[in-house]
Amino acid sequence: MRLRALTATAAMMLTMAVGLDARADENLFGYVKGAETLPKGAMEAYAWTTVRSDKGQGHYRAVDVETELEYGLTDRFTVAGALQFLSIDTSGLIIDGYLPKAESYAMKPSGLELKGKYNFLSPAKDDIGLAVQATAEYKWRDPHSGQDKSTLSANFDLILQKYFMEGQMIWVGNAGLEATYADRAPIAGLPAGFDWPTDPEMEIELKAGTGLSYRFAPNWFVGAEALYETEFETEVGQERWSIFAGPNLHYGGEKWWATLTWMPQLAGGGEMYAGQTDTNLHLIEKTKQEVRLKLGYNF
Amino acid sequence: MIDRTNLSLLVLLPAAAIAGPAAAKDYLTVAEAQRVLFPQAEAFAKLPITLDGDQLSRIKALSGVRQREKQPQVWRALKAGGGVGWFIVDDVVGKHEFITYAAALSPDGHVLGVEILSYRETHGGQVRDAAWRSRFKGKTLADPFKLDKDIPNISGATLSCRNVTDGVKRLLALHRVALAGL
Repeated sequence: MRLRALTATAAMMLTMAVGLDARADENLFGYVKGAETLPKGAMEAYAWTTVRSDKGQGHYRAVDVETELEYGLTDRFTVAGALQFLSIDTSGLIIDGYLPKAESYAMKPSGLELKGKYNFLSPAKDDIGLAVQATAEYKWRDPHSGQDKSTLSANFDLILQKYFMEGQMIWVGNAGLEATYADRAPIAGLPAGFDWPTDPEMEIELKAGTGLSYRFAPNWFVGAEALYETEFETEVGQERWSIFAGPNLHYGGEKWWATLTWMPQLAGGGEMYAGQTDTNLHLIEKTKQEVRLKLGYNF
Repeated sequence: MIDRTNLSLLVLLPAAAIAGPAAAKDYLTVAEAQRVLFPQAEAFAKLPITLDGDQLSRIKALSGVRQREKQPQVWRALKAGGGVGWFIVDDVVGKHEFITYAAALSPDGHVLGVEILSYRETHGGQVRDAAWRSRFKGKTLADPFKLDKDIPNISGATLSCRNVTDGVKRLLALHRVALAGL
């Protein structure tokens, strides 16, 4: 599985390297969003790879891949559709209610996503940029356990962006709310008493993020971003909270851009699994480490 | 057995296949821009100039943006031994690279013309269009230089438009502070 993840990353790096001589556009951050939209008629293709690893015990590595196509309907409104894929390799860790058994498979389709983003204020023209993004997502695989689980989510983000130093430094701030309806498929052969609820449940997630990016050389930006997430669920109330933060590196040319972000979990809480030793982190639905590579191509 | 991970990665690779190196967008040399903006000039004399702290502060106060270069690239356009205007080459921040442009200013401090020498951004190549650049002609420091007011915005290149617009106003401020009266 490690070899497959590295292969995936190598393929992405190759993809990036092929385009390195080109000149491109956008997406300075891996996790937080900017407020700008594509101009009318413009199109952008994205490929993201996120590697989530290490739950403190056993072995856990999940790779999310998302391919997305975004189109500028007007100068202020863009729409996008995405296909999601998941590969997972976990063993040596069972978490009651969440991680029922060891699992290992290569990339499989896992979800669909539709997005709409509207820009109210331009960060380059107004004192501060403001946009809202609405997302509808349907997943049929649980991103944590890799098991069959249907989730339907609606996500709403408020996005702020501010240029400093004539645009050489960029700040963004995000706040988001996600509501999810989840329904797990039963799993045969689980140990007696193992909790794997198959009744539908509702989850509400709140998110806040911020990032700062600085262009240190033509086409190259270095930055940092942080993301706070907390989730409330039907039975347990606040199920989790976590703070991820880390550096990013962005290359933007005329047609291509690439962003690499390392986001370790700095703090977390809420539910813990039995025997969890890292008591200052949330490691049931989150991992200790995340690395994301995003690539974009402008048409 | 074929590795399914590698197969699924094929969805990512078409983008790589259509990627090709793009040529740098250098449209005009300095000499070419001089001839375009001052066709009547017989010669151009480079003016060595170093701005001091007070001049930099006054330029920012007049234009609202900072003058990055202490030694701007300034030429006096000459005809029959007399000055017919100022030719200034300047850089402003684009989305990913600097945009290099040239402005022609009259001796009394209004814009005679603007030319884009280098532009490398994804969107907004229309800043090179004569119609957009012509909106600067005749402007003085008294004009607002505001996007969507006296200068039209170009979608997808708002930062570039704003910075070129601010840059031209800054060069008018530079003219008033350091060139007027020379």
